[in-house]
Amino acid sequence: MADVHIKGVSKAFGEHVAVDTLDLHVADGEFVVLLGPTGAGKTTTLRLIAGLERPDTGSIHIGGRDATMLSPAERDTAFVFQQYSLYPHLSVYDNLAFPLRSPARRLSEDAVRRRVEDVAKMVRIHHKLNNRSTKLSGGEMQRVAIGRALVRKPSIYLMDEPLSSLDAKLRAELRLELKRIQAELGATMLYVTHDQIEAMTMADRIGILADGVLVQIGTPRTIYSEPANLHVAARLGQPAINLLPTGLLPDGDMPAGTKTIGARTEHLSIGKASNGHADGVVDWVEHLGDQNHLHVTVGTKKLVTLTDPDTQLEKGDKVIIRYRAPLFFDQAGNRIANR
Amino acid sequence: MLNRTADSVARATPEPLARKVRGISDKGLAWLFISPTILLLLAINIFPLFWAIYLSFTNYRANRPNEVVRNVGLANYKRILGDQDIWIAMQTTAHFVFWTILLQTLIGFTLAWLIDRKFRGHAFWTTIILVPMMLSPAVVGNFWRFLYEPQIGLFAYAISFVTGIPATQIGMLSNVSLAPWSIVIVDTWMWTPYVMLICLAGLRSIPEYIYEAAEVDRASNWRQFWSITLPMALPFIMLAVLFRGIENFKMFDMVNLLTGGGPGSTTEVASITLKRQAFESWRTGYSSAFAIILFVAVFGLANIYVKALNKVKQR
Repeated sequence: MADVHIKGVSKAFGEHVAVDTLDLHVADGEFVVLLGPTGAGKTTTLRLIAGLERPDTGSIHIGGRDATMLSPAERDTAFVFQQYSLYPHLSVYDNLAFPLRSPARRLSEDAVRRRVEDVAKMVRIHHKLNNRSTKLSGGEMQRVAIGRALVRKPSIYLMDEPLSSLDAKLRAELRLELKRIQAELGATMLYVTHDQIEAMTMADRIGILADGVLVQIGTPRTIYSEPANLHVAARLGQPAINLLPTGLLPDGDMPAGTKTIGARTEHLSIGKASNGHADGVVDWVEHLGDQNHLHVTVGTKKLVTLTDPDTQLEKGDKVIIRYRAPLFFDQAGNRIANR
Repeated sequence: MLNRTADSVARATPEPLARKVRGISDKGLAWLFISPTILLLLAINIFPLFWAIYLSFTNYRANRPNEVVRNVGLANYKRILGDQDIWIAMQTTAHFVFWTILLQTLIGFTLAWLIDRKFRGHAFWTTIILVPMMLSPAVVGNFWRFLYEPQIGLFAYAISFVTGIPATQIGMLSNVSLAPWSIVIVDTWMWTPYVMLICLAGLRSIPEYIYEAAEVDRASNWRQFWSITLPMALPFIMLAVLFRGIENFKMFDMVNLLTGGGPGSTTEVASITLKRQAFESWRTGYSSAFAIILFVAVFGLANIYVKALNKVKQR
């Protein structure tokens, strides 16, 4: 394992700037998740580190060694692609053994077998080692692909939305597995996703990418509770954060220059109006089973928050809404720290 | 309102036709539409096949239509399978098929692999390479006969220029040991592009990310070729071999134009023998039996081969 240091890296495809002067440091044994929408430059960042793309400017150091101009083979990274990039004519065993049989390694077939079987157990595919890789289900294929990255002990694991093509149940399962495996191996891992739950649950640190720029990087807690700007705030939280203009509700103690107030569920207290005064009307209660989404109209704005499964509120109820230490954003959309 | 429109449309349809069409079921209509094709197939494919099977059991001669046709049973088949000349012709055919397919596959795949590098102007070169395939075999046969001319031919000139052997001694079509190769060369020249096209389709079907995965997995170009490119393109290569194999097994036009089976019978492939028996010796019954044997042989071999192909595809 090793750390990866990206300094001022840019990459453009024609007119389109995919990655814009990116600085990123992934420490040895750290699990960093890059989160962003499609086209934010997440995949390009991974491909730059793997050596599948060459940066226009900047440098990439892997394990302290300048790797900017090295070929993918010389960099010793492991890559899990979004598509199941298995070698279709090979068995699961041979797929897993493929990286170990590189002439650069000179492992005995015995050592290869031991390693493959270990990893196959780790990703829970050992019962299908002799199957053709094309005869597997989607989840099994992706586990083989992850396993193929794990058999090697590379300087860094690069994962490009490895779970995005799986169904929800399997995704939740593999999410836990991956985190467990990473912790077990003490692996350095850079993981790309557009799924906030994956980011929140697995990452040591989350990097938020937008239009090729790293907007903010920090622990999941920091990113969630102290977002740098509106963009970051909008990426995390379910239901999404409510962004309201000042003056819509009683603002309370508000820092100077506040233009927008960001309120997640925990920033709002909602109660049934009792004495005739009301801030909004319940639009609709969305029953999700373990929780409810409460849709409220306040003036011309709509609010969505979580509420108890056994809430007494019903459609048409008048409610009083108060902020509880919400987030404040200025004209440019940057967050203003309280106090 | 709507009813009235429907009524007026019904009234506008000519009465006899409407009555006729209305009586036909969907299935009947389907048969009506495909019947011309089926009739045509029956007339020019199926009927001749069965007629030939019938003739193969007789002593019928097409140049003596008035003679009594006698049923001779399996006599024709027995004579063919015991005939030395037939076996030599089959051997010549096998050699010819083997070498043309070997050369066309090797050269065709190499060209496809090079074109797939997507270098500058690869589209232009693809078009240039495809030209021979687009020509008519009659044209190709004729102009290669000129190219092979010892006195005026460019081919003989070029060979003598390189090797120093006098051009007049390079009788590609008259020399017993060169004549088979002259046909192999022309067939390869003409049909390699075809093999290349199929191989190219195979190479293009391999997704880029498999190569990228292999590159990250530290597989050398050599290893990528043997463990990704070749196995994944193999079904396509096999398909090209199948098409060319069937085609060359019954090869007639080029041989007939270039050497006519000569010199002697060195290039007499099965189809040339067949033509000689059928239209020079007029042994119609005998040659029908030979044609049936050839047909069964190609059909059987192709079937075995297709089974193998399916196995490869299912891997």
